Amino acid sequence: MLEIQKKQNSNALVLALQGRLDTTTAPQLEETLKDSLDSVTELTLDFADLQYISSAGLRVLLAAQKTMNKQGSMKLCHVNSDIMEVLEITGFADILTIE
Amino acid sequence: MKFESANGTLTIYLTGRVDSSNAETVEKEMQSILAANSAEKLVLDAEDLAYISSAGLRVVLRLRKANATLKIVNASSEVYDIFEMTGFTEMIPIEKAYRRLSVEGCEVIGQGANGKVYRLDPDTIIKVYLNPDSLPDIHRERELARKAFVMGIPTAIPYDVVKVGDGYGSVFELLSAKSFAKLLIADPANLDMCVKLSVDLLKKIHATELKKGDMPDMKTVALGWADFLADYLPADQYEKLRSLIAAVPDDNHMLHGDYHIKNVMLQNGETLLIDMDTLCLGHPVFEFASIFLAYVGFGEVDHESTRQFLGIPYEMGEEFWHKTLHLYFNTDDEAKCEAIANKARVIGYARMMRRTIRRNGLNTPEGQAMIANCRSQLAKLLPVVDTLCFD
Repeated sequence: MLEIQKKQNSNALVLALQGRLDTTTAPQLEETLKDSLDSVTELTLDFADLQYISSAGLRVLLAAQKTMNKQGSMKLCHVNSDIMEVLEITGFADILTIE
Repeated sequence: MKFESANGTLTIYLTGRVDSSNAETVEKEMQSILAANSAEKLVLDAEDLAYISSAGLRVVLRLRKANATLKIVNASSEVYDIFEMTGFTEMIPIEKAYRRLSVEGCEVIGQGANGKVYRLDPDTIIKVYLNPDSLPDIHRERELARKAFVMGIPTAIPYDVVKVGDGYGSVFELLSAKSFAKLLIADPANLDMCVKLSVDLLKKIHATELKKGDMPDMKTVALGWADFLADYLPADQYEKLRSLIAAVPDDNHMLHGDYHIKNVMLQNGETLLIDMDTLCLGHPVFEFASIFLAYVGFGEVDHESTRQFLGIPYEMGEEFWHKTLHLYFNTDDEAKCEAIANKARVIGYARMMRRTIRRNGLNTPEGQAMIANCRSQLAKLLPVVDTLCFD
């Protein structure tokens, strides 16, 4: 289960994720990003209510980072310690900007 | 207090808590163990250590002052956090405990020489190694994979090294992907697309710059192959081979080391690279030597070998090799490609000859045929190849 809340303020978009980002829910985030990133120069992913992330979710983050590298910037915030550990082990902590 | 002295290493096992109530006693016990057992290396095993306070940290600090080899292993997340927060991880090598995983009930999705690959969950696999002594190799492969991944090479997301029963495994993303080999077997008309995608990825790899020491240097490895053949080639050929390799300029760009259609996958339109344990740095001619072997060299004497190894007919391997050269070097010039191919083949045959000899090839008819082929090819190539570099 994944719930995505969008908050847009001109070119800055905040997506707050609630639940799990795995093989079943990653496509949902992918779709949302595809539909929302058009004029966004600042993307923030709020992980405060995200409990779990798997490779499928990480892949979507990687693709989003690549897109935002071309049109602006992306960052993650409020990452819990379990997810932070995954980001560190997989090297994503070196690729993404995490607040 | 449990301890173990083996192979010059003294391991002391900490248990429970070390805080102001017992730090003095713990220190005294450790000192008496140290006095009674000489050792070159000192290790504290923290597997059963639940908590350590400042008083305990002071004991560790004194231990470190007395013994510069001190290393702490198997620290739980909480204990590791204490060491990290207080800066101890910068003073002393401290290793986290391995996550313990079980593969019971997990589907086996692959089998290699080193062990089995299990599906842990819908998008995670674990490669379990047969040999528990392979831990340094497991760490090495994982480090290479992680380094490449963070540098932007498209490959499976690497997770951690874990403990599985008495052995070890490494965890990776499960790629829902088809290897290029499978795509070609399914439909040979995919050949041109596969060549294009594999050349694009190859160029991306070769454009990735590393620092000397980041990965093994392919030139050093190739010199080792040449030196091995000193006993098996005529003196003048050995000398020429060695000097050709020695003259290849140093190059800090990434090479895969075993680049072929079974190690390149297509997932959702993205080309991904797998099997990262041969990653190295060097001049691209070394890469083309391995590519030549995979697509042509291995099957030259017995064409059936190509089908057994890659699943495609020998002729398709030859076509893949030729088209790869043309596309990578962006040329229609046959002579130019042939000249480059010959440079790659010099290194390729040297590698294959050494490999076959080391696998007892001198004592089997198949091995002898392969070695004879390498010998005759090198005898033809070495007089006419003056440099292994291309412009």
